[in-house]
Amino acid sequence: MQAIEIKNLSFIYSKGTPFEQKALDDINLSVAEGELVGVVGATGSGKSTLIQHLNGLIRVQDKKRASIVVDGMDTSSKKTLRKLRFTVGMVFQYPEYQLFADTVEKDVAFGPKNMKLGAEEINARVRRALDVVGLDYDTFATRSPFDLSGGEKRRVAIAGVIAMQPRILVLDEPVAGLDPAGRAEILDLIGKLKREVSPTVIIVSHSMDDMAQIADRIVALSHGKIVADGSPREVFGKRELVEAAGLELPTATRVADKLIARGVPVKPDVITMAELADELARLKGAKEADNV
Amino acid sequence: MPQIELSQVSYNYPVRDGVSLKAVKNLSFSVERGEFVALVGMNGSGKSTLAKLLNGLFVPTSGTVKIDGLDTSDEANTFEIRKRVGMVFQNPDNQNVATIVEDDVAFGPENLGIERQRIIERVRSALEAVGMSDYAKHSAAKLSGGQKQRVAIAGVLAMQPEIIILDEATAMLDPVGRREVMDVVRKLNEQGITVINITHNMDEAARASRVIALRRGRLAIDGAPEDVFASDLLDACGLTLPPSVSLANELSRRGFDKMNVIDEDGLVEEICKQLR
Repeated sequence: MQAIEIKNLSFIYSKGTPFEQKALDDINLSVAEGELVGVVGATGSGKSTLIQHLNGLIRVQDKKRASIVVDGMDTSSKKTLRKLRFTVGMVFQYPEYQLFADTVEKDVAFGPKNMKLGAEEINARVRRALDVVGLDYDTFATRSPFDLSGGEKRRVAIAGVIAMQPRILVLDEPVAGLDPAGRAEILDLIGKLKREVSPTVIIVSHSMDDMAQIADRIVALSHGKIVADGSPREVFGKRELVEAAGLELPTATRVADKLIARGVPVKPDVITMAELADELARLKGAKEADNV
Repeated sequence: MPQIELSQVSYNYPVRDGVSLKAVKNLSFSVERGEFVALVGMNGSGKSTLAKLLNGLFVPTSGTVKIDGLDTSDEANTFEIRKRVGMVFQNPDNQNVATIVEDDVAFGPENLGIERQRIIERVRSALEAVGMSDYAKHSAAKLSGGQKQRVAIAGVLAMQPEIIILDEATAMLDPVGRREVMDVVRKLNEQGITVINITHNMDEAARASRVIALRRGRLAIDGAPEDVFASDLLDACGLTLPPSVSLANELSRRGFDKMNVIDEDGLVEEICKQLR
């Protein structure tokens, strides 16, 4: 079974007014369970509109033509809406702005409480969620989330979502605004969440370097349409397409292109800095061998 | 006289009864006219507090901040300092005050009580400087993030400031928007405006003429980008190297000679030279 199956999805904001704006234009997309998909695109390309459809925050407009099925549930069905919300965990941009309770424990428990779980189960889930995001329960549970550092706040916010143990985790710009060390921590954490909690992960990101590093698959949007869909190597291989979509290439790919233009024979399909370093070390080694 | 002068500046936030958070501790440094300073450091290291100290939004708990010799703690100077030090914040959606772009840009000079004809002139040239002249009559709400930030910068420019402080002004933008904003800022700096760019993006830091890193409210590193990237304290400051510098270091561990690079073009140059 596909984790997500989107068919013929279009969405128009302010429909029927002079301000009508097409945000999504005939999107067809299926995501298999276990995939880590990076959704990329310039501001206004439709990324946020697309992901808000996944848990029914935005309803399918034209139900005759379009459908979205998530984990076997039709997102237009009122009967399964509640279950859908617990199946798709949404971590929005700057999720720490949504912290509200006076202790970390209460904040993280909010989701499981809404699921009407028993007190013991709620406590177990809060402990597990904090443990997974790397915050010690005994140290943090009784503290106010507002006294924590930026990186810690974000991890509390993420813990609140994964305490519901969603099968699908959707993160919108999860590292925006964090310092470099915080970025690296959250990127590592995403891999861990995928292994331990939510097997399917969708990430919206502007960082092609991050996506080249962690995504299994990249879906590129431009003006509400999917313009590229494939492995990072395939997608970044289509240079004109990436540029036309208002995106950048990963740093490694950009540097490789510049080197190739200068006559250095690196492989054109490198996408990570580690690959580029290997290529260059190989060329350097070959040159030394020639000189001997 | 330096344009910006901090001498033993500390700032404490009152948290709750009797407890306070020391955000900036005993900070002393100065900035000359026309410098392009990147201010970096972890979340919570005191960068934004420092920014607010520079235009008198905050007054030091102890020590002095002077702008062109004007002490920020003297209320008689506040108006003059605000005119000279413009700030652009992170969220493009929180900074526009009017519905139409040109009205938004005119907001600052209107508050200065400048006559209408001169306001029109200032707005025109500010929008031109950020490449947004074609959008003067547009609705501010419908612009892209990069465009909104450029309008915010125009609003600051219309005040004819001598210093512009950007507090993570590109953090919420896509790569294209980020480039648009940085290009405008670089151009303004070339025209003589002092820039203080608070950023987590180390590529942006590499393009500054000077990098100041804060750690727990104190000054940890202060120097040219290449010196800062070579500092042992980088890790402790929660900073990483720009990708091209980190690749250069990796290559020098794998058979290449040591490379002195701070950006992509320098890296490409070095690699070509060494593989020739």
